[in-house]
Amino acid sequence: MKLLNCPINGTRPLSEFIFGGEYRVAPDQDSCSDAQWAAYVHNRNGSPGDKKEWWYHSPSGTWFIAERNTLTDKVSRTYLLSNANLNPALESAQ
Amino acid sequence: MTLRIAKQTGEWLNRDKKIHFEFEGQALTAFKGDTITSALWAAGLTVLGRSFKYHRARGILSLANHDVNILVTDGIDTNMRADVVEVTEGMKLSAVNTSGSVKKDKNSYIDSISPLLPVGFYYKAFHTPRRLFPFWENIIRKAAGLGIVNFNYPRILKRKQHTHCDVLVIGAGPSGLTAAYLAAQAGLTVTIVDENKQAGGSLGYDRAGDAASVAQLQDLLNKVTSQDNITLLTASYAAGYYPDHLIPIVSAQGISKVRARAVIVASGAFEQPPVFRYNDLPAVMLGSAAQRLIYRYGVKPFNHGLVLTANDYGYRVALDLLQAGTKVVAVVDMRKAGDAAYTAKLIEHGVKIYTGHCVYEALASSDKSSVKGAVICAYDDKNNLALTSNKFTLACDGIAMSAGWTGASALLYQAGTGMQFNYQIEQFIPSRLPDGMFAAGKVNGVFNLEQRLQDGVRAANAAIGYLGLKAVQTEAITHTGSSPSHPYPMVPHEKGKNFVDFDEDIQIKDFVNAAKEGFDNIELMKRFTTVGMGPSQGKHSNMNAIRILAKIRNLPVEKIGTTTSRPFFHPTPIGHLAGRGFHAHRLTSLHDWHHTHGAVFTDIGAWKRAAYYPAPGQAKQDAIQAEAMAVRHSAGIIDSSSFGKIELHGPDAAEFLERFFTGVYKTQKVGACRYLMLLDESGVVVDDGIASRLAEDLFYLSIGTSNAAAVYREMQRYQQMWQLNLGLVNVTGAFGAIGIAGPAARIILATLTDLDLSDEAFPISCVREAKVAGVAARVIRLSFVSDKTYELHVPMSQVPHVWHALMTVGEKHGLRPFGSDTQRLLRLEMGHAMPGVDTDGLTNPFEIAADWAIKMNKAYFIGQRSLAILAKRPLRKQLVPFVLAQNFAGEMPMDCNLVIEGQDIIGRVTSISYSQFIGRCIGFAYVTPDKTALGSTFSIRTDNGSLVTATVVATPFLNNQKDA
Amino acid sequence: MQGFDVNKQGFDVNKIVQVSPTAHAQSAEITQWQIVNDMKIAVGFEGADIEKYRKKVLGVTDVSCLARYGVKGPQAAQWLADHEIAIPANSNSWTMCDQKTLVMRLGSSEFLLEDQWGGGACKQLAADSSRQANVYKVARADAAFILSGSAVLNLLSELCAIDLSEQSLSSKEVVMTQVAGISATVLRQTIAGEPVYRLWCDGTYGAYMWQVLLDIAVELGGGAVGLAQYQN
Repeated sequence: MKLLNCPINGTRPLSEFIFGGEYRVAPDQDSCSDAQWAAYVHNRNGSPGDKKEWWYHSPSGTWFIAERNTLTDKVSRTYLLSNANLNPALESAQ
Repeated sequence: MTLRIAKQTGEWLNRDKKIHFEFEGQALTAFKGDTITSALWAAGLTVLGRSFKYHRARGILSLANHDVNILVTDGIDTNMRADVVEVTEGMKLSAVNTSGSVKKDKNSYIDSISPLLPVGFYYKAFHTPRRLFPFWENIIRKAAGLGIVNFNYPRILKRKQHTHCDVLVIGAGPSGLTAAYLAAQAGLTVTIVDENKQAGGSLGYDRAGDAASVAQLQDLLNKVTSQDNITLLTASYAAGYYPDHLIPIVSAQGISKVRARAVIVASGAFEQPPVFRYNDLPAVMLGSAAQRLIYRYGVKPFNHGLVLTANDYGYRVALDLLQAGTKVVAVVDMRKAGDAAYTAKLIEHGVKIYTGHCVYEALASSDKSSVKGAVICAYDDKNNLALTSNKFTLACDGIAMSAGWTGASALLYQAGTGMQFNYQIEQFIPSRLPDGMFAAGKVNGVFNLEQRLQDGVRAANAAIGYLGLKAVQTEAITHTGSSPSHPYPMVPHEKGKNFVDFDEDIQIKDFVNAAKEGFDNIELMKRFTTVGMGPSQGKHSNMNAIRILAKIRNLPVEKIGTTTSRPFFHPTPIGHLAGRGFHAHRLTSLHDWHHTHGAVFTDIGAWKRAAYYPAPGQAKQDAIQAEAMAVRHSAGIIDSSSFGKIELHGPDAAEFLERFFTGVYKTQKVGACRYLMLLDESGVVVDDGIASRLAEDLFYLSIGTSNAAAVYREMQRYQQMWQLNLGLVNVTGAFGAIGIAGPAARIILATLTDLDLSDEAFPISCVREAKVAGVAARVIRLSFVSDKTYELHVPMSQVPHVWHALMTVGEKHGLRPFGSDTQRLLRLEMGHAMPGVDTDGLTNPFEIAADWAIKMNKAYFIGQRSLAILAKRPLRKQLVPFVLAQNFAGEMPMDCNLVIEGQDIIGRVTSISYSQFIGRCIGFAYVTPDKTALGSTFSIRTDNGSLVTATVVATPFLNNQKDA
Repeated sequence: MQGFDVNKQGFDVNKIVQVSPTAHAQSAEITQWQIVNDMKIAVGFEGADIEKYRKKVLGVTDVSCLARYGVKGPQAAQWLADHEIAIPANSNSWTMCDQKTLVMRLGSSEFLLEDQWGGGACKQLAADSSRQANVYKVARADAAFILSGSAVLNLLSELCAIDLSEQSLSSKEVVMTQVAGISATVLRQTIAGEPVYRLWCDGTYGAYMWQVLLDIAVELGGGAVGLAQYQN
């Protein structure tokens, strides 16, 4: 079983986590077209590569972001979404 | 007759303890420590099993847990591997897959018709006509099969544990033991595991007639056992590799899932049989099998043995046979020349050596139970030709064969190791190891004993360094000398019966035929020929299959590649995999009460809920109707403690609710309740519930049982994104809830609280905090199951107190408990659709006429943008309340029955129930929008195909009472 | 009928008695009950000698009756400090306040307090009903256990995937993990000189947890130990 590093609780087996899907930013719902919105809601990019994903550490109730390469299944880093937002340099570096 | 020899140094037997057992009705004795096979062989038995397909007589092949032609049963366990299972006192054993006895198997005629049964025969021959297939299948299944499943097998609990170590070493042979010791010396915690009953690997049996290695092994074992930080597990196998170094170790006791920081695979190599005509006869065995027999069990493999070899290992085997008292008739070496030192030694013992020769075929004894000789001829190693012009026969009663090895690399493959074919040693060896994985010894292509010890040191140092400690890193060790494996030890014979896979009786010609049919990729060839698909999973056959395919396709071996390796390394009992079997469940604090009062429980999410309380002998439907009638006429009480309960604290609580749910909450007054509807981003209805505002900055949410955990999780996620000033607290387990409903509910409750319960002071959709029976309660007035419903939310541990108080004072008012099944009926009578019951994964709020709950003019809520799109489109279906005819007496439609118009499906029933109170069948169904007007009718098709007419009515259904 | 039964005639509306969340799983025949902190709890099972022995091998004790208090929010640490509660400096660690109240920091901004024998902090905090910004009370209804004895890691290794041995779980650490498939909080503690493991889970899973713990404990030569063995 894979291990995943919860930024608050440390490294735990995957059985303690729930996958929350890819982290995606919604288009501005007031200005986007119906087609753009529908694409956001219904389409997913399944091509392998580096993805930001939501993961939830169940025993502690911690949502965080894991950056995972879906081809190699390697997680390069994990962090709280709030911490990522607090550090714009981190965001822009991606 | 006995082949038992004098006590061998380091043998695994306790000769002071005799074991009595039976095999196929014959009484036999053995020593404690014997396996079934060694005991039988010592007693002079040679036909120990029958092959899977042709029912050919088979004896020992490897004595290393892949002699799958020798599967026996003791009447309890089905397919016991006789080569590794220890014989115990009183065992009554028989071979599986035989008709009659193993010695005179009636199905052995199949062997004589084998030319009629080429590979792929079954696929083609019995495919058509289809109706005859069951007939053929019956015959084939009886003839070709393994043991008979024991359906009375007892449930034996096997534990599954998690263990942790710094370094896991797989294989306790010389390289593994060395590596384990070194890693432990560096201060690391080490687990070393070996599938054999005793550690030592080849150091215990590969002696070339010299006992020096025994002392060397003892020295190594002493070192390992002196380290407190080494756990040595024998009779346990590493069953597979799972990500991040999780390796299940299987033993008779159960499974230990070892999480290691680093793994050293020192699992050794499987000896591979050379392929020649009748290489499967009993008493034709691998050289290493002969050695194991001698040194582990003190049994002489043969009296007059011949050694066929294609490497130097066969010479070592010959020396071991001599030491055991076997007369070695000859050593036949397929190569041009063998090792000079071994040759000299053997010649000293008077052994004749034929280099550049092969065994063209083995000759069966008259009863086919053993070998009587071998036909020898010159062999053109380069062109793979048996030069039969000068063939001659040597008499012998057994053949030991050594042609080469394949690494026991299953776990390396599973871990994602890059493997490369090394032509110097004719073996796939690791070329690119994943992080934290290391290989040592034969599996790493190192065969010389001194080099294997060095390789153990090297691998240990690499692992120590990987774990961040100081260690000297040394270069990889490369094999020197002649190749331990022959590139193509396959002797062609025009009459075949030269077996590649002993599990499935696959011969060289089967591969040729498969390739002709177009199955010339290794994975396809595996499926078509079934090579490697038997119980030994190709441990003695895959490498030869790859070599044969390479030759057929005229490609180098590495272009052929290998088949995919998957867990488990050996068959693992299902009982082991099942383990204890945990079934986590939640109970409310009233569980015992429900139990005492005859409740029937139902599983809702993780919860056990009381569904209804039948009187003795009362049918489910009657119990439910009676409970519902009590709520309509007097009062009912329900344990709703499993509801999801969430508190939102903080100044932004209302803002959060407005974004998360579809309604408006900022204007909600303290003391008021509002409906909650949750959508997903595509506008689909996910769940609903009630928000009670207890203070400006405190909302108390109650939501359905089954989805509560997921809803809370989503709230946490959105809070991560929105970062509002609030705190979410899940109090689902901390608070319990009691619903009391019906005309008498108010009067019962009034006796236990000072709260003003009048309609004016406490109307529907309001919340009050008050003491009930002395307990601080949040009292919510709802109309979910009846107009007069009070929900009392109190700390879980105090629910029983309030419940008992209500039951005590309610008795004279006819108060009785009702369960969750009755609640379903009651809410249906009230006309409430339930998400998840009356909606599915595609239902939007417009389709359930919940427009009133959607506040589109808010700035944002989850699903709003999608609803804006959906609102522009015509509805395709709509949920409508319906009734069946007043005196309907036909077959009752059920949930999910379809609504039919002509030939078309135009909808389905989502809820339907008979209501005794209303006196007719009521329900919800999806229909096309043209069928939604009051009084419209539509047809429901029941399970038996009849059409039932339903009429659209208004809710609540209560208004549709018979006499209303 | 196990655990409790209600005698309607004997029911006293003025006397609120709570029952341990594990009670459903405890054998009615052999369990001796007592009311401790207004909660009916098992204080004894098969006699002190047997239970003392089990305690050494592998004892499972229900201590759900200990008072607990939960609080979270950005200002929770400050609020506790204002109430003179010693708080652990680091996330996921614990400390003992006045030697009588266990203070666990769950993550960074949530706290779980548990009064040990003689402790009263939880009751005092609960009495403060004032509400303050960024301090949120967390209602608790835990099932709580003490696991003792030489075989305790053997038991935990079957129920929990992470390494809870002394080498891995430091003495002041709190872990929120899964035990027997459900969320639980675990730490190591020393009670009367004896090293034990403490385990908390949602009370509604209490009966399930008790059953699982007990099944394994019995297999390993231990068993149920009454609260009396710790009540001094």
